Amino acid sequence: MKQSHMAFMESGNFLYTLDRFKEVPVLYKGENIKEALQEKIVSTDSSLSIFPYGPSSGGMVESVYFDILTQGERIQKVSFDAGFKNRSIKLSGLSMGDALLRIERMNGVHSAAYSSMFCHIWEKGIAMDIPDQIKYLRVAMMEAERISSHLFVASRLTGGASQNIAHMNILLLREELLRAIASAFGHRYFFGVNRLGGISRPVNINGFQKKIRQISDEYREIFHTLMDSRVFIDRLDRSAIIKGENSSGPAMRASGIKKDGRNLHRYYEGLEFKTITSDGGDALARFMVRSGEIHESASIIEQALLHSGDLKPDPEVNEGSDSFMAGGFMETPSGDASMIIKVRDGKLESTGFMSPSILNMEAFAGSVSGNTFADFLFGYESLGIWVCEMGDFQ
Amino acid sequence: MKAWILRSFRKGIITSKFPGGRNENASPWSTPPVYRKGDQDPYCPVGAISQGKADANRCISCGLCYPNYEPSMDIHGSVSSVSVPALKKSIRIYQIDVGSCGACNLEIGALANPQYDMARLGISFTNTPRHADALLVSGVLTDNMREPLMRAYEAMAEPRVVFAVGACAISGSLLGKAVSDTLRIDVTVPGCPPDPFTIMDAVQKARGVK
Repeated sequence: MKQSHMAFMESGNFLYTLDRFKEVPVLYKGENIKEALQEKIVSTDSSLSIFPYGPSSGGMVESVYFDILTQGERIQKVSFDAGFKNRSIKLSGLSMGDALLRIERMNGVHSAAYSSMFCHIWEKGIAMDIPDQIKYLRVAMMEAERISSHLFVASRLTGGASQNIAHMNILLLREELLRAIASAFGHRYFFGVNRLGGISRPVNINGFQKKIRQISDEYREIFHTLMDSRVFIDRLDRSAIIKGENSSGPAMRASGIKKDGRNLHRYYEGLEFKTITSDGGDALARFMVRSGEIHESASIIEQALLHSGDLKPDPEVNEGSDSFMAGGFMETPSGDASMIIKVRDGKLESTGFMSPSILNMEAFAGSVSGNTFADFLFGYESLGIWVCEMGDFQ
Repeated sequence: MKAWILRSFRKGIITSKFPGGRNENASPWSTPPVYRKGDQDPYCPVGAISQGKADANRCISCGLCYPNYEPSMDIHGSVSSVSVPALKKSIRIYQIDVGSCGACNLEIGALANPQYDMARLGISFTNTPRHADALLVSGVLTDNMREPLMRAYEAMAEPRVVFAVGACAISGSLLGKAVSDTLRIDVTVPGCPPDPFTIMDAVQKARGVK
């Protein structure tokens, strides 16, 4: 071991971390797994074993730890620890602009949704009217982000099912989309575009709708070809079934519940789109809901940009020194996120935040019991869970 | 099967010629900003701008310096303190997320997209640090990821190269601690997140390939 690492290991900080890590097997094997062991499954069947997975392991996009109790190839129980990579991000005491930079990075992949939600809440709090043009531009950003996010989930599912040509074709489309976003908005993940009352830099949407339509049409072709693949369908069918309202977003809609935050949000007033549902509640149903939503999002973008057009940045808005309390929600690609803020003299005093991934992670852990070990990946990936948004944001 | 083949022919060759040719594209604000106009340094939330210059390693691509600064569109901003000829033919990458917002993870993963096709350059991902030549670290270092990071590093065989990918890993940005506080960094890859071309360029630099 190198000298610098030794020195670091001897520091109190590292010892704390080491202790914390040692606690993990006890703390996070989870009550449900301990209960299962107490049910004497172990004593009667030696094939039962606990399979630790993570926190850093190949095949996972983010760092997360699972304990998987298996009996043969069947999963009996799963418990998780999403606390390894959780960032503790302090928002209290910050101005709107400084808080916005951090909120964009709660989940960089869904940054347009989070930053739009935060701007909307703050604007509501100070009773600031924003032009329809800005409102529709934010919708276009969020829907392009939704397509990108859904394409990513589709690529993970096709990759996991060894549908390599479909996998590569979907990655290709996602990359084309990210390049179109970069060209129109200046950043592949919309960082820095939103600002209180408007946008912060010029946006050039020339040809953007056409590109989105082309991507949506090409994805439709890929989707239909995939639906002819018995191998692909068999891998997703009846994997990680989630029923009822204990999940969020596409996962909930895939269990037949017609709920979509966009139908209730002021930004989406006057835009026509269908709420896509399915009734299987499994990974296949979630894949089909996401695929349907890609086409709907393309249609929403076309409608929104008719009202928007190329935009120039707004002159910097004075954030003011108001005191208020306001809340709001936004349908992110993973589900419904909500936030409540308390502002004193123009600075955030406290923040309450709920991310869809918390709900979906718990739904996932409860849904894979009885599935085979190979179904684990399809269950997890089909939910579009982002561990980064499960952090501590105060 | 026929549909896939026909589709592939219709698409043609879409893989970049980079690094042999120029990069076809770049995410503007993921490239370091350069001075354009104005007498005073504009506000920068991470203090990356001083005396008419922007520190790429600190820049979080927020664009708040616009219009005084504009994106340089330069994807060669990475700095490598090593050049490992042993990795010229093949380099295997293990990516570890120690507290990222997810964007850097996806940009690293994008190297496998058909547009970048890292395999043509002998670059591949591996699922275990034991088989890895390079450790690509993304995110601010959280307390709980410190040990997994160290274990991954210790599991790697020599020669090994550590990349800090993105502003969070390099400088801690707005959100936490830099990885360099814990582990010696061989290559810095600036951007928030870095453009995939920037990451690819950084990998080539570390191998001494240009």
